[in-house]
Amino acid sequence: MAICLLLMLVLSGCEKPAKKSVAETTVPLETQGTIIALGNSLTAGYGVPEEKVYPALLEKKLRRDGYHYRVINAGISGETSSGTLSRIQWILAQKPDIVILETGANDGLRGISTELIKENISKTIQLLQEKDVEVVLAGMQIVQNLGARYTESFAAIYPAVAKDQKIILIPFFLKGVAGEPDLNQADTIHPTAQGYEIILQTIYPHVLQAIESSRKRSTEK
Amino acid sequence: MAKLHYNFIYRQIINSRKQVAVFILCVALSLLTLVSLGGFSHSVRQSTLKDARTLHAADIIIHSHYPFSTPLADVVNKYTETGMVQSALVHELFSMVQEPSTTRSLLTNLKVVEKGYPFYGQVELASQRNFTEELKSGAVIVEQAVLDRLQVGIGDTLNIGNGAFIIKDIVVREPDRPVTFFSFGPRIFISAEDLIALALIKKGSRIHYNYLLKVNDPEKIDKLADALSAKALKGQERVETYRTSQSGIKRFLDNFLFFLNLIGILTLVLAGAGIQSALTTLLRQNEITVAIMKTVGATSRFITVHFIAMVMVLGAIGTALGLVCGFILQLFFPILFAGILPANITITISWLTVVEGIILGMMIVGLFAFLPLRSLRDLKPSFIFRKESVPAKRGVLHYGAVGIIVLFFVGLVIWQLEDMLTGLYLVLALFGLIGITTAITKILLKFLRTRSTRSLALRQAFKGLFRPKNLTVPIIITLSIALAVIFSIFLIEENLNATFVQSYPPDLPNVYFLDIQPDQKKEFVNILGKKPQFYPVIRARITSINNKPINRAQELQRKRDNLAREFNLTYRDYLLEDERFSNGKKLFGDHWKDLDMHDEVPVSVLDTVAEIGDISMGDLIIFNVQGIPIKARVTSIRTRSESKVRPYFYFVFPEEILQDAPQTIFTAVRFSAAELGALQNKIVSRMPNISVIDISQTIKILARIIHKLSSIIQFFALFSIIAGLLITISSVFATQFARIQEAVYFKILGARASFILRAFTYENLIVAMICAGLAGLVSHIGSWIVCKWIFSIPYGFFVGETIIMMSITVVLIIAIGMASSITVLKSKPVVFLREHGQE
Repeated sequence: MAICLLLMLVLSGCEKPAKKSVAETTVPLETQGTIIALGNSLTAGYGVPEEKVYPALLEKKLRRDGYHYRVINAGISGETSSGTLSRIQWILAQKPDIVILETGANDGLRGISTELIKENISKTIQLLQEKDVEVVLAGMQIVQNLGARYTESFAAIYPAVAKDQKIILIPFFLKGVAGEPDLNQADTIHPTAQGYEIILQTIYPHVLQAIESSRKRSTEK
Repeated sequence: MAKLHYNFIYRQIINSRKQVAVFILCVALSLLTLVSLGGFSHSVRQSTLKDARTLHAADIIIHSHYPFSTPLADVVNKYTETGMVQSALVHELFSMVQEPSTTRSLLTNLKVVEKGYPFYGQVELASQRNFTEELKSGAVIVEQAVLDRLQVGIGDTLNIGNGAFIIKDIVVREPDRPVTFFSFGPRIFISAEDLIALALIKKGSRIHYNYLLKVNDPEKIDKLADALSAKALKGQERVETYRTSQSGIKRFLDNFLFFLNLIGILTLVLAGAGIQSALTTLLRQNEITVAIMKTVGATSRFITVHFIAMVMVLGAIGTALGLVCGFILQLFFPILFAGILPANITITISWLTVVEGIILGMMIVGLFAFLPLRSLRDLKPSFIFRKESVPAKRGVLHYGAVGIIVLFFVGLVIWQLEDMLTGLYLVLALFGLIGITTAITKILLKFLRTRSTRSLALRQAFKGLFRPKNLTVPIIITLSIALAVIFSIFLIEENLNATFVQSYPPDLPNVYFLDIQPDQKKEFVNILGKKPQFYPVIRARITSINNKPINRAQELQRKRDNLAREFNLTYRDYLLEDERFSNGKKLFGDHWKDLDMHDEVPVSVLDTVAEIGDISMGDLIIFNVQGIPIKARVTSIRTRSESKVRPYFYFVFPEEILQDAPQTIFTAVRFSAAELGALQNKIVSRMPNISVIDISQTIKILARIIHKLSSIIQFFALFSIIAGLLITISSVFATQFARIQEAVYFKILGARASFILRAFTYENLIVAMICAGLAGLVSHIGSWIVCKWIFSIPYGFFVGETIIMMSITVVLIIAIGMASSITVLKSKPVVFLREHGQE
């Protein structure tokens, strides 16, 4: 037992500098592109250190898997889909290759009409597509207490828009996280660091898909 | 015991009527304070606590975002079954409500209540009917805004969840509307019987679960709350009592009650000082009489007994007067405090309070009269011939008496505050202030003594300060302390007002419009019909301060605010109404275009965030505005009065820097309740993305409570101001006796009345200025300590008000002095000489 522990200590001791050198060599590598995580507090990571929120986690994971993309956290707490639409020029100015669009939840919490949300998201996507940005839309559902009529109409926005505008859809961004007391903060709607690990697993395949098609697009040009 | 000569006592009283009057009034005032504050503060405490309880509608409230855990629910059930408590479950949730015949829908804030809610206070309905009787299964009671926004009326149907409900009534006021109520939707009440029909409580729902408990034995509230807390799930279930719940109101209530007690104590101190000062002067005036009596054979015992008898008679008169005033005042309480105290609270002065008051009154008189009376014993017949005062022997008895007075005082303070440590600190602080005052007075007088001046009148005035047998030092100290107390009460009150009351001025915005997009501004102004103040909001994070990166993990550990969060930046080129500069003169300095050369922009910082981040003028803050870095130099630091309900911004930039950055705009305006409904409809139909937050209800309740409490403070502060005035009058009288003689001699020597008046006025002016200056200094130190350490509120110096108070003091002292010397100046010297010939 003791030997085992000792061995582990020695091994881990050896591992550290090795890891560091890998990290050092990877940083200067030219980035292959920019991903912007555009969204509200769920993207900004309300109450969670920035490095533990999904955009930072995503960048790390992509790097580990050999994708050298910069992931910018452009989440704004409390933002509605109208706000997202309003700042799209600012986002485009940063020349993203991929945008992960996560918006609408605050509209839902304020009971804003689902038609307006749909219109905003759809316009946002259109503006991004005009600049050849690959869009990944984060599907969202809203708290059930608002009533079946509203929640159903809300959840239907995302697949409909994704289908219409032919973009990649993450069926439900908070899958496995929403409603779980352990994975959410005391306010019950904002995920904990642990919750973001699950979110990362949920979105990862869709991001890879976006990277593939973004690359295909640029080679086509 | 020797037979009392009533005539002697009577003559003594008549001879020194001014001092006697001050003495009696001081006794009366201390009694009045004790009796009415004692009795009344109990009522006030009850009333304010009742207010606090009404704000929670219960004694104990358990909050959770999830259904209550079994152990906790079991305990509540056990308590309910054994009759220790009554309980009611209240679910609060947002839900969309549809008007069935149209497609109109509205986000509302549902409150599903069990029978029994509210345990305290009342849900007032437009129909004046009883809430519980109106809220039957299948019915809803809604806020007016619901009717306005959905364009429906009473009797119409609303679809909520899986159910259909008839609108039965309109809610006008809800007792436990949270103080920080900031809601996106108007209120709808539903009976808990319909909870299943609603079918809104399921997985994925966001519900506030509240257990409201009314404890039948009020003594057990804290004990039960502790027992419940022990069973509650940490971090998920929160147990609060109406007393422990932290809110702005609660803090104000605590501060308010403490301040009320403080005023009571200070009034007592002032009245006690008044008693002593009046008595000292009175006895001093009679020193010669006493000396002569001793010469012709009166024993010390005879004299002491008679003066004690006199003090007792005066004390009894004062006590009686105080009690009568207390009773009369009590009759007027309902008028004085109309709308302040709830009608069902009876303000009675109990017999216990009266007995307590009489005993305390006698103790105060006895203690404060002891030392002056004792000095009579040491008075020798030879006093008639000698002008200098005989230094009193300060034996064990003297110091013992002083010790007892101090102990009595400490005990009184602790008894009033019901808190040992705070009481001790307070007494220490008071003694400290007295010490400072004494030291400064002595130094100042020493300095003045060495001054010489050409003006004869002024010279005489200086000399007057040091005439033998003069009471200059003790009088300056007494006066300064008395004035300092009054000033302090005023300053503390002003600071409490500035922090709490002025946060709720009548023109406060009562509705917020959020999420206005830049291109909607024009249309918004058109609908509103007036141009409101727009507040653009740009979200950003701080990357570094002076090139030191923000330590995010460490920042998130901070309890209050932290630098790791997203900040709301804004742009404008002027100060807001409640802002002023604490550093710098212009928002962006004078040379901000120069900063451009270094790729830097100016930023104005609010002092609160400057404190958190240790930011000072000229520091470099790098912001990350959604991916774009901005290097900002601090060009000014702003501070604001801490009004909680006006918008404020930590970081302000010039317009050209941020106008193109992604932003949303909000605005805060004031509209009458009548206009509000229609306006909201218009805006929501034309610009559905704009959210409306109506805080008119919240503001109304808060403002009402805070204003009424502040008027109670004002009323009781009046008591101590009267006590202070009495001391001032008594002190000035005390200095007059020696002056009268001087005036006579001046006249004999051929001085004109105007010269004498001038000399006296100068003397009074010097005393007044020293006192006012000292009081100003000491009161600011004292109030600062109270505000900073006891109330934890920001301290304002109120320079203008301080100067006015000091000026009034000076004028008052001179006026009283003049009024009391005028008779001497008018009378012929010979009259005085005949009366006082033997001197």
